[in-house]
Amino acid sequence: MTNTPTLARGGRHASAPGRGPSRGGRGKGLPVWSIPYVLLIPGLLVIAALLLYPMVQVAIIAFQKVGLPQISGRRPAEWVGTDNFTRIFESQIFWDSLRNTVVFAVIAVTMTLVLGTAVGVLLSKLGKKMSTFLVIGIMCAWAVPPVAQGIIWRWLFDAEAGMINWALNLLPDWLSTLVFGRADWTGEPWLNDAWSVYMVLIITVVWASFPFIAVSVLAGLKGIPSDLYEAARVDGATGWRTFWQITFPLLKPVFAVLTVLSIIWDFKVFSQLYVLMSGPTNREAFNLSMYSYTEAFKAPQKMGTGSAIALVLTVLLLVVTAVYIRQLVKQEEL
Amino acid sequence: MRIAKITATTVTTAALALGVAACGGGEAPAEPSAASTAEASGPAFAGKELTLWRLGDSNPDAQKYTDELVAAFQQETGASVKVEWIPWPQVNDKFTAAAAGGAGPDVTEIGNDQVPLWVSQEALAPVTDIVGSGDQAGIPKNLMGMETIDGETYAVPWGGGTRAVLYRKDWFEELKIEVPKSWDELVAAAKKVQAEKGSDVDGFAFNGGSDANHLLGSLAWTSGGEYAVKEGDKWVGKLTDPAFKAGFEQYTSLVTDGLSSKSRLTQNSSDIRTRFSNGKVGMYLTASWDLATIEEESKGKLKGDKLAFFPLPSKDGGEAQAFLGGNDIAVWGTAKEPEAAKEFVKMATNKDWGVRYATEGGLLPVYPEALAKLAEDPAQAPFAAAFAKAKAFPADPNWTEANETKAVLQNAARQVIEGKATADEALAAANTELEDILNQS
Repeated sequence: MTNTPTLARGGRHASAPGRGPSRGGRGKGLPVWSIPYVLLIPGLLVIAALLLYPMVQVAIIAFQKVGLPQISGRRPAEWVGTDNFTRIFESQIFWDSLRNTVVFAVIAVTMTLVLGTAVGVLLSKLGKKMSTFLVIGIMCAWAVPPVAQGIIWRWLFDAEAGMINWALNLLPDWLSTLVFGRADWTGEPWLNDAWSVYMVLIITVVWASFPFIAVSVLAGLKGIPSDLYEAARVDGATGWRTFWQITFPLLKPVFAVLTVLSIIWDFKVFSQLYVLMSGPTNREAFNLSMYSYTEAFKAPQKMGTGSAIALVLTVLLLVVTAVYIRQLVKQEEL
Repeated sequence: MRIAKITATTVTTAALALGVAACGGGEAPAEPSAASTAEASGPAFAGKELTLWRLGDSNPDAQKYTDELVAAFQQETGASVKVEWIPWPQVNDKFTAAAAGGAGPDVTEIGNDQVPLWVSQEALAPVTDIVGSGDQAGIPKNLMGMETIDGETYAVPWGGGTRAVLYRKDWFEELKIEVPKSWDELVAAAKKVQAEKGSDVDGFAFNGGSDANHLLGSLAWTSGGEYAVKEGDKWVGKLTDPAFKAGFEQYTSLVTDGLSSKSRLTQNSSDIRTRFSNGKVGMYLTASWDLATIEEESKGKLKGDKLAFFPLPSKDGGEAQAFLGGNDIAVWGTAKEPEAAKEFVKMATNKDWGVRYATEGGLLPVYPEALAKLAEDPAQAPFAAAFAKAKAFPADPNWTEANETKAVLQNAARQVIEGKATADEALAAANTELEDILNQS
């Protein structure tokens, strides 16, 4: 990671001697120092149009009352100060959504990282053929689009026709009673309660996101010199010890990036939840994205409060990410 | 490190911004180009094209009526009409997109309880002059409570809708069940159906979806309850009244007594209809517009004398109070052809086409003499009887938010069914929330 800026600088210096004379010959043109910036302009323009402008709009709308008449231009938007924020902070749905969002992210990120690392380490121990086979297999799960993920797991957990209830009913009664305290799973409504919806959501999200972690860890492991492991083996270290003494410290930068990415992905899960609940039906199981969507786009449309929620979610995410990265910088892990 | 940080921040912001802000609205032309034509006579709108939104799932009867109406309109005025069918659960989303500046219709069918909301969003054009003259002057004014706001009428009643219990007559005959005359008999009938037809069958289906209040409302009104009453210019919630609570407990008992499965707390009447078509429901509250779709969905297996209606019975016998529903037809605010659109509405709601719309579409005609005639028909009598006692939801633009978006009472019912709150606690919370929603400006 630290190499990248150096390389970029090197590239700029390298181009300077070659360019200098030809520029002088034409008499006009850009000063050398500006070339990288000029080259960046097209990209920046695209980002500004597609990203910065909508973001600024969201921030503005969060302080306005905007409904359909305002969106269609029949009426000017009305400034309401911080009313939108007061309104959402007074709503129980907001606090439920916030709790759901945070608890879900903590559990899902942890499980994704643990499972992904475990599979990554496993992959590195397997032979070439088996490893390739597994990588292809798990990458299929990663490649499934979010809506399809939701549909797959919604079917599996369906109360009447779902495989999960069918499989649980196949367990011997004594075992099922011992583990779950019940033997009959016919018609168990998994997608009713907030807690069980989130259990299914966690399974869905972890299932679809651990392969990326596994493959990244595998790539990281390939870069660790194998003599370190040989030395550990000669010293008689256990697999557990080898992981914590060699693999983990050397892969810390990889884990840092993967953690940040996972936090970002899991905070803003929307499609899977939307499909699992078939739209914003059970408000106790909303997360912040779902709440924002419902406020902004369900009749009567309140784009103002919807944007306010989105803004809160953005700030929350930036704070979490910033704190985490700061922590890493302090420990000089990157 | 710096790269990682920048990447992280960019990815975060990009994803969030795209997720939420993708709706940046384009400026729509504010004023429709009102080509003020002279009095329509003959093919006054030759070459013009109207877009008509019909609501619900297209079925052969409705399709035939619409085709004939459109053909007659074209013959008379020269304007062609493009018909689009919008299933009920998508109606609010489609209206939203259209009102936000997307492609809207010129004329649309609209549920009467949706009118206040869309008027408040300035999505409908007034049609006061249509209901003031001609045939339409004969439509009783008490049917236009939802449509008239500050002296202007924004939609013309097209057909009255009220709901009754649709049941599997073939099952009832096979199992020797009498048509229920009281609530207890209905519960007993539902249990018997479940015992014989399998536990995955809903004896009487619980509706907890977007139109749940049609069922809850019937039960609550029958026991004497009200949602909210306007006192002065403020709505006062009445959900905590013992009368409302009695109806609410009847409603939740559909699930807690096992008449309907706990796994389908969010199904709306479209979902129930699909299950009914597949032989998984014994009874549910609906109207006869479902019949044609059921025949189609069941591939012709469920039709004719296998199905029948009876009025929802109240607790101590007698008929329950039903929801005063109905479909209207309105001119969209940003119609491209407002004059032709008005002409279309005028023709569609005249005595001839208006009565045909209702009788052929399984609704009740809004013209009194046609309604009186209909009450003599035994098949339609349950609806005519229920229509006479029908009541409406609070006529407020914010009702949709409480009814569908925030699903206030559906949420209260869920909490009671799952044992998280007592009926008193859930209704007290719902009452506060309902007042807040209805009274917001």
